[in-house]
Amino acid sequence: MSRLPVLGEPVVLDDVGPPRRGRAYPAAGATSALLLPAALLLGGLVLWPVLRTVHASVTSDGRWVGAAHFRAALAAPGTGAVVGRTLLWALLVPAVVTGLGYLLAAASRRSQEGGLVRLILVVPTALPLVVTGVTFRLMYDPDPSRGLATLIAARLTGHTGDAVPQLLGPGLVTVALMSAFVWAWVGLAVLVFRAALDRLPSSLADAVRAYGGGRRHVLWDAQWRPLLLRTVAVVFALVALGTSRTFDLILVMTPGSVRDEASVLALRVWQTSGGTTTGEGAALGVIWLVAVAAGMLVAALFVRQAWPPPRAVDPPEADPASAPPRRPLRLLAAGAAVAWLVPLAVLVATSLHGPVEAAARGWWSAPPSLASYRELVTGGELWRLLAFTLLLATGVTATVLVVALLAAYPLAWLTGPAAQVTGLLLMTAVVVPVQVIAGPVNEVLGVVLSSGTARGLALVHVALGVPFAVLVLRNAFADLPADRVRAARLTGRNWWGTLRRLARQCRPAILAVSVLEFVQVWNDLVVGLLFSGPDAAPLGLFLAGQTRGFVAGSGVLAAGSVIASVLPVVLVVLARRQLVAGLVSGGVR
Amino acid sequence: MTAPGRLRRRTLLRAAAAGAAAATAGCAGGGRGVQVAVVWSGGELAPFRAVVARYGSPVHVVSAGNDIDAFLRARQLAGTSPDVAILPRPGLVTEYARRGWLSPLTPAPGHGVPDGLAALLDSGGRRYGVWVKAAHKSLFWHLPSALPQPPATWDDLVALTRRLAARARRDGGPAPLAIGAADGWVLTDWFENVLADVAPDGYDALAGPDADWAGRPVRDTLDRLAEIWSVDGAFPGGGRRALLTQYEESIIQVVHTRRAVMAFEGDFADSVVRRFRRGPEEPAAFRFPGSRPGDGPLIVGGDAAVAFAGSRAGVDFVRWLTGADAFAPWLRAGGYLSDTVVPLDRYADPVRRRLAREMRTAGTLRFDLSDRLPGPFTGSDGVGIWRIMQDFFADVTGGVRASEAVRRATRQLAAAARNAGGGR
Repeated sequence: MSRLPVLGEPVVLDDVGPPRRGRAYPAAGATSALLLPAALLLGGLVLWPVLRTVHASVTSDGRWVGAAHFRAALAAPGTGAVVGRTLLWALLVPAVVTGLGYLLAAASRRSQEGGLVRLILVVPTALPLVVTGVTFRLMYDPDPSRGLATLIAARLTGHTGDAVPQLLGPGLVTVALMSAFVWAWVGLAVLVFRAALDRLPSSLADAVRAYGGGRRHVLWDAQWRPLLLRTVAVVFALVALGTSRTFDLILVMTPGSVRDEASVLALRVWQTSGGTTTGEGAALGVIWLVAVAAGMLVAALFVRQAWPPPRAVDPPEADPASAPPRRPLRLLAAGAAVAWLVPLAVLVATSLHGPVEAAARGWWSAPPSLASYRELVTGGELWRLLAFTLLLATGVTATVLVVALLAAYPLAWLTGPAAQVTGLLLMTAVVVPVQVIAGPVNEVLGVVLSSGTARGLALVHVALGVPFAVLVLRNAFADLPADRVRAARLTGRNWWGTLRRLARQCRPAILAVSVLEFVQVWNDLVVGLLFSGPDAAPLGLFLAGQTRGFVAGSGVLAAGSVIASVLPVVLVVLARRQLVAGLVSGGVR
Repeated sequence: MTAPGRLRRRTLLRAAAAGAAAATAGCAGGGRGVQVAVVWSGGELAPFRAVVARYGSPVHVVSAGNDIDAFLRARQLAGTSPDVAILPRPGLVTEYARRGWLSPLTPAPGHGVPDGLAALLDSGGRRYGVWVKAAHKSLFWHLPSALPQPPATWDDLVALTRRLAARARRDGGPAPLAIGAADGWVLTDWFENVLADVAPDGYDALAGPDADWAGRPVRDTLDRLAEIWSVDGAFPGGGRRALLTQYEESIIQVVHTRRAVMAFEGDFADSVVRRFRRGPEEPAAFRFPGSRPGDGPLIVGGDAAVAFAGSRAGVDFVRWLTGADAFAPWLRAGGYLSDTVVPLDRYADPVRRRLAREMRTAGTLRFDLSDRLPGPFTGSDGVGIWRIMQDFFADVTGGVRASEAVRRATRQLAAAARNAGGGR
């Protein structure tokens, strides 16, 4: 689940729902072989490792030990706090993100500046979480001569810098981490809510008004009941599942002395088992796995039982009749946009200072220079890292696309319970936390590949990316209008020709999957941390490694973060319309 | 479906597999010479590359950083171990040797190592690792203008700290001590220096299986640490702030922002010193003071090279590394301290030459204790002895009574040692 892509899950959750008419493809012979690559990848690198982890949690060197590991893991000091903190993350953060997302989506609709506001909010969703962590750690630096937040707090409270509450200190570190996470994820919620709001037929609101309904009634009967309830459930579930990505943030943002105060299950599993998976680490992993899978099932059930939404008849482009939101709301949107820009500005400003100035004083008190960039660019390592990460992300994206297209094609004409079961299985594969299965995956890689671990790294990325891609593409195939499917089947001379013609019809979905998978691999930290090898260190891992001497290296680190962010941000911003069209619209419909 | 259809499908599958392989093969390394995984990165990696460039066949250096243990375990599990690894802790060498992952080694003739150090790398009577780099971990860095007369004994150090702290409280001058308490190893290094001074006889016993972590030596050491750490105003910004200060920043506080007068850490701090020093004044270092003048403790750390089982090339390479001349480029470049008997005039770097002489003339060298502790007790961020020392630091700087803080710490230490399979 730490692989949960940033955008597009709605379509996945949605798909657990009732079967759609588009599934009614004619059967096409023994196409099950098409499923083979995906099945091998998922069986070998997800299912088998999960079983091995379960096995390791109840055995010790092959001997059955029952629940001993579970008892030991739960009795270890601090486990209760860790579990509690993980739950807090999974409940509080999604609530905040959902609420803010709805407010900002409503506030930025139909106003001139709305597009710009949304653009600004979307940028953080594209950043690697490592970069988000670096950005907020710069802002929250406990030294008021460097940390903007500490400086402002000191000015506001009138304390000296040393007496101000420390955002990275043991008391507030979780709050600090959560704020960074909310910053990174609200853009996603805004996108989803915006698509949902645009789908609402305005005639419904008019009808409510015609019957004498007030503002409250419009909100309830024309927005909440037909659509928003379901969208809220989708966004909440998404963010809740996404909170296990806090792993990256915690590694980057917390100094060693407060790591325990910030620890969640993801971190604890990694600390207890590292690259291997044994005993207590496996037991904690199993607990986590069960919780995540249960959460996913509940979310799926909830989404399914929600009000069946109306089909969007016509895309509600510009509706001149509806007024822009009221003034306070618009101000709120503008204020949010400015607030969301501040961390980005801090990151860029820090990167524009020499390594020594960035470490010794605030970016506002020293003249800008390009020394940090110069040091990074002439260091030699950067180009190798960029080239390797680019090659890795491209190769993985292409492979995922091929494997997923092949598998999605036969899966698309399943109907009824079969479709729902495959949907649930794929969804479960999407949410498996990779830390839990690291050890067994390494064993499998050892069997499959004789040497060369860059290949292993790519293989793990492919296996983790395939289930989500299959889900999205399967839904896209299933949603094609019946006449187009018929036309493709008539003109295509064989299944391959048909698949090619059908794929051409699903271009937005394919584009969306490609962009997401690419950004996913590019932004990755945890897979690199667990599976990278000789000569196979990706960019995220390099940046995270630099945070060990955070203050001393902050100039170069900020410069590296800016360079690492350019490509994902450009891709997501350019493709955001297609991302919405290809993924999100399917989810909230 | 027709035969051609089937054929196509198979071709396609093969193409997909080939695509996956091709996509990833491009990322894999080229020809296989000797693969070496090292803990070093950045400023230490570059000179090491210069060292191995003189080896006969191509050497492929991989920086695994501080997570080298997890990295090597995963590689071993996957059957893709490198030929050679350079490990930061002797505990890892003996552990790997016990598991049968390593080849026994014979260093080149003339590879002399001080007594007691070499034996740390033995397992079952055979040698599995050789020392290739040392760290001198008993230094205080300072600016001579801010501290003209370094303290000669521990009591002087405490008195100086009290005096400077009083001045800092009064008129906002620099605090006496900078400390990177956010990095647990800084605190364990303090602990080891004081322990080696307070209880020289009990030091090595604590690394053994029957260590008594609640005994007199540990309690005396913690008492002493509490004595200096609890001084009000000892650290810039106080204890709370010190716990968020990393080691590099503590050096910066002395040599650049000058918010503190001295910072304790090893010889490796001089790369930070050189990068961040300001003005013409050359920062200097003095030895960690002991109970008697001129008799301070000397703690060393070190990195050891091992060859993985079945790698002939690895064994040959390690043997070459232990040759008298192998590290010459690094000696010339500076920043390298050897724990072998390299002639002192080979050191280009005067600080290192002095430290090498100290290491050779010191009565007893003691190897970093926390690096010899078993399992997770050895410490990492938020884990083991690192975490316990940070809790202790937070207690004594946060106003908890010293006796109470010591009691808590010894209880935690004893429990952690028991859980890790050492101690009683």
